[in-house]
Amino acid sequence: MRPPRYAFLGATLLATGTAPSLRLWLEADMARHMLVQFPLLIVAGAAFASTLPPRVRAAVATINAHGLAGLLLCLLVSAFWMIPRALDQALLSPPMEIAKIATLLAAGGALQLSWRPAGIVVQIFFIGNWAWMTAVVGLLYQDMSTRLCNGYLLDQQIIAGQGLVVLAIALPTAFIALLAKRGVLAGDASETTQGCPTGSTVQ
Amino acid sequence: MRTAVTCALIVLSGLAAFSEVSAGFRVVTSEAARRLAVREHAPQIPDAMLAGATAHSLHDDLARDGRIALVDFIYTRCETVCSVLGTEFQQLQQELKRRGLQDRVRLISISFDPADDANALARYASRVHADALVWRFERVADPQALRRLLDAFGIVVVPDGMGGFVHNAAIHTLAPDGRLIRIDDVGEARIALRSALARAQVAPR
Repeated sequence: MRPPRYAFLGATLLATGTAPSLRLWLEADMARHMLVQFPLLIVAGAAFASTLPPRVRAAVATINAHGLAGLLLCLLVSAFWMIPRALDQALLSPPMEIAKIATLLAAGGALQLSWRPAGIVVQIFFIGNWAWMTAVVGLLYQDMSTRLCNGYLLDQQIIAGQGLVVLAIALPTAFIALLAKRGVLAGDASETTQGCPTGSTVQ
Repeated sequence: MRTAVTCALIVLSGLAAFSEVSAGFRVVTSEAARRLAVREHAPQIPDAMLAGATAHSLHDDLARDGRIALVDFIYTRCETVCSVLGTEFQQLQQELKRRGLQDRVRLISISFDPADDANALARYASRVHADALVWRFERVADPQALRRLLDAFGIVVVPDGMGGFVHNAAIHTLAPDGRLIRIDDVGEARIALRSALARAQVAPR
């Protein structure tokens, strides 16, 4: 796709996630809030980042070797918006809502700018970390007999927790499937040894 | 090197944000944050016109009465958490009367349901055998005043989609000067009572 199309895609996703009536509908349910609105904003951020000219990308790359800074930002933003109190505040306080939209867009952008430079080892590390964190939070949401968010009902919290666990399993699985399809797991040494100097050669 | 500096900056701002939302890594839920804040700052509760058996201002009532008030928020059609609160307040009432403490601590249940009128409250009060000298039922007629009161207490009421409400339930300790000094969980009524008594002995009556 060409940059203008990415910009259009990003704007569409952003509008879907934040248009006043849609936003209220998405945020009225904990699972929709976390599992629909968050990904919409993250993908919108990634789409916007795809429109950046090479010059800007090069400038970002100088402070983002191997995508480390960007992926770190993604992990922290992702962890932050799983804190029940942060979710509550996003519902009640407009500045917090704006911070939420801005940080999720930034996380999406950072992901787009960091994923390829990261290389397979950092990618696996990132996905692994994100998945166990998300799975633990998802299990906690289901395990609590009390409501964690004042703004949400208990059954919504359980569904959101189940959704997080499903995501925490599905994304790494999809990633491994992708690697397998690319032949990386079959021992295509050109990719596996990148960033892994002691990687043994497979016959 | 630049990446390391960037990462350090990201971690620092992350720490600041996490610390802010978790009140210094002490809480993860709004409910816990509310209790912590109350214990540390004892916020003044805004005045509201209560419309129970008779109409009167909450602040005047507290000041004139002079007793520590244990306050809960309910609605009379509630089948779940309010019944638990109701039972708990019933036991508190018994305990207060048994130990002759009703001149130091009293109970107030405030309904947040606009559908609860004086009759509904009176019926509810007789159903739970409330002694009007110890345990009073109130409602706030003005929706805006109710909103302000709920906000000050930190009560979030969410419609449950079946005509009822889901709300955070707790026992709030209110001093005669209109300050909210403590919040205890449902099930911790004895702790609430003990701390209220400790407070009542210090406060001049």
